[in-house]
Amino acid sequence: MKISCLQENLAKGLSIVGRAVAPRSTLPVLSNILLETDRGRLKLSATNLEIGINCWVGAKVLEEGAVTVPARLLSDFVASLPSDQIDMDLNPRTQTLNLRCLRYEANIKGIDAQEFPPIPTSVDGGQMYLEPDTLHEMINQVTFAAATDESRPILTGVLVNSNGNRLTFVATDGFRISVRGSDLAQVNSQGQPNREMNVIIPARALIELGRISGDQTEPISVTITESRNQVIFQLSNITLVSQLIEGTFPPYQQIIPKNSETRTVVNTQELLKGVKIASLFARDAAHIVRLQIKPGSDLTPGSMVIRATAAEVGDNVSELDAMVEGKEVEIAFNAKYLLDVLGVISAERTVLQTVNPLKPGLFNPLGSDDFIYVIMPMQVTR
Amino acid sequence: MPIQVLPPDLAAKIAAGEVIERPASVVKELVENALDAGATTINVEIREGGQRLIRVADNGCGIPAAEAEIAFARHATSKLQSVDDLSRIRTLGFRGEALPSIAAVTHITFLTRSNTESAGIYLRLEAGELVSRESRGAPAGTIITAEHLFYNIPARRKFLRRPATEAGYIQEIVTRYTLAYPERRFRLEVDGRITFQAPGTGKMEDALIAVYGVDTARQMLLLPQAAAAEGDTPEQVELEVAGFVGPPSLHRANRKDLTFFVNHRWIQDRSLAFAVQEAYHTLLPVGRYPVGVITISIDPAAVDVNVHPSKNEVRFLAPHHVFSAVQRAVRRVVVEESGIPQITFSPASDPWHDTTAFGGHSRAANLRVSSAPSASQPAYTRLALDLHRPLDSPLSLPGAESAQSDLPLQFEPHEEAQKLPFLRVVGQVSKSYIIAEGPEGMYMIDQHAAHERILYEQFMAQRGHGPVASQALLEPVVVHIPPAQVEFAVESVEILAGLGFHLEPFGGDTFLLRTLPALIQHSQPVSLLLDVLQELEEERPTTVHQEREAALTRAVCKRAAVKAGQTLNVAEMSALIQHLESCAQPRTCPHGRPTMIHLSNGQLEREFGRR
Ligand SMILES: Nc1ncnc2c1ncn2[C@@H]1O[C@H](COP(=O)(O)OP(=O)(O)OP(=O)(O)O)[C@@H](O)[C@H]1O
Ligand SMILES: [Mg+2]
Repeated sequence: MKISCLQENLAKGLSIVGRAVAPRSTLPVLSNILLETDRGRLKLSATNLEIGINCWVGAKVLEEGAVTVPARLLSDFVASLPSDQIDMDLNPRTQTLNLRCLRYEANIKGIDAQEFPPIPTSVDGGQMYLEPDTLHEMINQVTFAAATDESRPILTGVLVNSNGNRLTFVATDGFRISVRGSDLAQVNSQGQPNREMNVIIPARALIELGRISGDQTEPISVTITESRNQVIFQLSNITLVSQLIEGTFPPYQQIIPKNSETRTVVNTQELLKGVKIASLFARDAAHIVRLQIKPGSDLTPGSMVIRATAAEVGDNVSELDAMVEGKEVEIAFNAKYLLDVLGVISAERTVLQTVNPLKPGLFNPLGSDDFIYVIMPMQVTR
Repeated sequence: MPIQVLPPDLAAKIAAGEVIERPASVVKELVENALDAGATTINVEIREGGQRLIRVADNGCGIPAAEAEIAFARHATSKLQSVDDLSRIRTLGFRGEALPSIAAVTHITFLTRSNTESAGIYLRLEAGELVSRESRGAPAGTIITAEHLFYNIPARRKFLRRPATEAGYIQEIVTRYTLAYPERRFRLEVDGRITFQAPGTGKMEDALIAVYGVDTARQMLLLPQAAAAEGDTPEQVELEVAGFVGPPSLHRANRKDLTFFVNHRWIQDRSLAFAVQEAYHTLLPVGRYPVGVITISIDPAAVDVNVHPSKNEVRFLAPHHVFSAVQRAVRRVVVEESGIPQITFSPASDPWHDTTAFGGHSRAANLRVSSAPSASQPAYTRLALDLHRPLDSPLSLPGAESAQSDLPLQFEPHEEAQKLPFLRVVGQVSKSYIIAEGPEGMYMIDQHAAHERILYEQFMAQRGHGPVASQALLEPVVVHIPPAQVEFAVESVEILAGLGFHLEPFGGDTFLLRTLPALIQHSQPVSLLLDVLQELEEERPTTVHQEREAALTRAVCKRAAVKAGQTLNVAEMSALIQHLESCAQPRTCPHGRPTMIHLSNGQLEREFGRR
């Protein structure tokens, strides 16, 4: 293998695939990045066996070939090089990659490319096409609600459901649930109708997808492989492949409360700020934040009082104006669950619907039902 | 009453009383004789707890016909000729008292054939008197049967326990010798049933399995094979400590499972036991004792075996040397096992070094194990580790009180000891211990014990004001509780609710779990709950509400706490330490074990020879 490419392109490509490298794997080759000539370009690949990323970088291919080299070393070395042309030359006998950039030169020992697990790449025609901005927002609004511990693997995933017209992302960790829907275009950018889909994608894979799709402008295609155990996201010059989680997602519709006794509308940023302050005090008290909601009268506006108390630390109270319809209520939530949702609501105002202190609270941005977030309350004695 | 010489038979009975106390003493003497005779197979048979009959058959060297009778004469022995021999003694017997003593209080049948002769000799004795003697064919070796123990001393007979209990004592003797002689085959038959067998493979492991069972035996740790005479002072004694000890997790309610052999002799020595116990210092729960088999091989000249008629006590010429060698060997392996940084004692604070504490052998000071200059001696000290043990807790050692104050453990006043300075995380060791730095030096913190303490205090703090905060689940989780624990679970529903587990019986073994304690909602609470129920169901804590609640709380914290072996990042470690700092009793876990070890700057400086 003998190729030349620009330092910026290579560095960027390496940082993209680097996210899928398994840093301390029992399989040494998984700590490596695969470099491979592919139809006049350089293809970079990395995988931790759950997620795989391919990235194509423009290059001048003088001689075809492939090799895997340690990801950390290669990325760090390339990142330190001046922004100029890098010439790479593989000695196939020793599997040593020679890199040259101006007056800098290095030889990096690699592992035979044959040992690298294959990552599916080529997809002709996706089953669904998503606008990068929408996808981004959906990922942000849902993935944080997925479980991080592996005791129930299903809950570490995001349910991705589409009936062809509407796409829904759902994630829950058993204590709260996040549901985000979005309408799909009638026909996608390829002139094809979007297909139905119902899979569970690891939240980690979607988070990575969100990270690497930041500067994408073209629609992103989504394909479930024939064997139905992998999903492939095709971006321009990048593919991300992820294992799917097998199983059935809990029936989430029935969890979402249908009615409420109290409907409270507050300024999102004010609420976020109030909860942030309260969380400082709640840190040492199981993250308990109490919301005391009072309807207004003819003369005074309604209010929401945010309170946190930690026996050893002290306590804190903030008060917000609120539009409250219905009964007075006091309800306690985990501060972290509140911060998570308030951080991803971009609407100016947020609606909280509650029934009583033992029933779940439902949050959504005022004026939109696309995003719904339900939290189970905490039960505390005062 | 005028002074008069006792008639010989009465004198014999009184003398016998010193050697033969109960059936087990007979077995001990006879087994020792068989071992001294070089037997490789030793079969012991008893009936009715040994009172009715004790028979020991061996395939040892036997006794030539001409000498058989003499063996039953008082002070007749083949093992000793002069006083000097006593200091070279390698046999278990040396007094020539066992057989006559046994014969004085039983009916003896004795069949032996020396391996140098072709015919055996048969003797029968009653009350020490020969009643029959004839030549008989016999396998090489000795079969001795002692029947009707204490038939002529009713007072003694009254003190015997139930046959099953006496049989237990006998089994203890046989199993102990198995451990000292793993290469010999032992068998014990009680009332026609074989209750114990050791294969005699020569492997200590097999003997351990025979004695303790596979489960316990598998946990036992091999002591490092190290001779301890590293010094060059002339008083230094050749000494070898070997054997097995249990890990700290294996403990017993008494010291019975701590066995010592000195040159293959089973001995009982409270100071040695104490030395071993101290090696486990703070690793064992309060009031529990370690398990172990420790063999000490020492120049016979350095140990006096002639201390007590029962031969189960010895006196070391250099006791502190021996104790400290044993303690070090045990400590090393136990510490390795538990992953705790090794703590040894500096010369200045070596408890075995303190000459006043142990009867003032001033020579002992020269007999320290290592002759290296003291500056290079590891001198780690534990600080305030022992808060859970009352200062006046009974120690098994004569002069223990004075020794205690010389121990390197600094018992700080509670208040002071409890407070923790601000600590900065340095790193994690063995995925189990957090190393932190404070103004006073270095702290090694057991992450599991520390977290247990934190959770416990958080639970208790919340519990003080009512039920602890709980986080509701979106949907109740269906929990199937094993049938054996259903009753316990139903009984404990209220307590569990107070702890944040709202558990709702749903018929049969099915329960709905609606909320989790907010403090631990992320630590897989369902399996945690099942574990806790199982653990407590087995222990069946009292039905007293408070005690059960406390036991449940401790069990929940224990299960929910981060485990040893879990990698923590710096943020997690800092958070843990921060929480620990705010605990009222940061230095011990709820079960009373230490959460940390402290190594002061002063100690560090000494270690590096800066001071
Ligand atoms: N099982 C045996 N096989 C061979 N010789 C034996 C056996 N039992 C006893 N003897 C012989 O009989 C002698 C007397 O035994 P006895 O047990 O009375 O005294 P000992 O073993 O010498 O000393 P101690 O009183 O300390 O046990 C022994 O010295 C030994 O020579
Ligand atoms: Mg004897």
